[in-house]
Amino acid sequence: MPLLACRRFVLGLAAGVAAAVVTVPVLAADPGQLIQSTATDAIDIIKKTTPGPARQAAIQRVLQTSFDLPYMGQTALGVNWNKATEAERARFLKAAESAEARAYSERFGQYGGQTLTVGKVTPRANGLFIVDSQLSQTSGQPVKLQWEVRDAGRGLRITDVKVEGVSMIMTRRSDFNSYIQSHGGMVEPLITELESRAAR
Amino acid sequence: MHFKVQAACATLLPRFWPGIPRACGGPGLALIIESVSKSMTAGVRRSVFAAAVAAALVGGCASGDTGAAEVWDPIETPNRFVFAINRTVDMIAVRPLAVMYRDGVPEPAQKSVRNLLDNLGEPVTAINEVFQGDPSRAATTMARFLVNSTLGLAGLFDVATMFGMQRTKTDAGQTIGMWAGKGVEPENGGFYLMLPLAGPSNARDATGLMVDYAIDPFQILPIALNVDWFYYSAPRYALNVVDYRSRTMFALDDLEKNSVDYYAALRSAYTQNRAELIRSKREKADTRSELERRDNLALVR
Repeated sequence: MPLLACRRFVLGLAAGVAAAVVTVPVLAADPGQLIQSTATDAIDIIKKTTPGPARQAAIQRVLQTSFDLPYMGQTALGVNWNKATEAERARFLKAAESAEARAYSERFGQYGGQTLTVGKVTPRANGLFIVDSQLSQTSGQPVKLQWEVRDAGRGLRITDVKVEGVSMIMTRRSDFNSYIQSHGGMVEPLITELESRAAR
Repeated sequence: MHFKVQAACATLLPRFWPGIPRACGGPGLALIIESVSKSMTAGVRRSVFAAAVAAALVGGCASGDTGAAEVWDPIETPNRFVFAINRTVDMIAVRPLAVMYRDGVPEPAQKSVRNLLDNLGEPVTAINEVFQGDPSRAATTMARFLVNSTLGLAGLFDVATMFGMQRTKTDAGQTIGMWAGKGVEPENGGFYLMLPLAGPSNARDATGLMVDYAIDPFQILPIALNVDWFYYSAPRYALNVVDYRSRTMFALDDLEKNSVDYYAALRSAYTQNRAELIRSKREKADTRSELERRDNLALVR
């Protein structure tokens, strides 16, 4: 084999391996591992940054890589998703994404020594995984967190978080639906409200 | 008019809200306590009746319940009105007090207050655990109560947990939810109800609140012994409110800040949280799991 071709082959192989290594955390085969790595990322961000635009941007990247945001947005809008135009859907997803990133970046002011212990992973018939976990705090009772993970063709992604039985998606769904109902059944006012909150 | 309001308070308040600071004032208090002590059996009978009514209501809306439906809230307008008043009172008085308590009172003192209040609540939990068909759990709770009331200096210190007896907390709302008919989802607690000062509830849990009040030895005893409301019930209630508010501060602030309709978000979160507590007590076959309910979301998407 000519030297040049051989080198190209080795380089190609190396690139392939590198690509595989890089994508492993995202395409984690194990839902428990996905939760663990996401939690590690989040704790890392909280440790290194203070609340502000930098932290929000970092959190937003985690949301984009570990969460199935379009799916979550669709579930949160419920029946109203069908009423919305393509443009409205895109705007809604964008606004909701930055609203969540902002909420998470402000939720934890400073790192308070919390650790996440991943427990049982339960697969369900419809391709869904339920991951149990516990958030231990330095003071007070541990918090029960349950994650919903599914693979919709883009690798495993988180689709919901339940804190002590309260699902983030279901709460948003009620919240958004009630807002839409009180604004003449239109999705537009909700998007405007979310956008103005993101700009604040 | 003033007299009328007072009379209404005298009949309603003692049963609904244990020891709520009664706005109707001093002279009526002795009367209230007297009337309650005299009508205790009648009160219990009435509570049982109310439980039956609530059970009928809970059972009445069981059919066609998919997880996609919103919480049943037929009296949303009055509920929102009460919620607005609650929020105002909270903003002016309760929240600032809870913040001062959280930040100003030393951590060990807060812990002792919590232990004391928890200890006073143990008998109610034990009675409910008996009715939930878990006498061994009830025995542990009573053992905890006895240990903490003596060795723990009237409940100020939670010695029982150090002895390996873990604390459990349950209420009559959960007992009713547990024994609701087969197929009645725990999310279905009858109509949603916003209680003045006490906050979110529903037909099931408000009934449970009344039952808990009627069976609580630490509400019956002071009445039987003629202890003035001012020296026992009022401080207990006030401490409960401040302690509870300081513990829910983080979650409620977060929910308020990140929702577009706080009332609806709280309604959903409350219902889900209560359902989770009840679901963990019910037979697996009795209800669909929360996830099975949510599989229906796909139908309305």
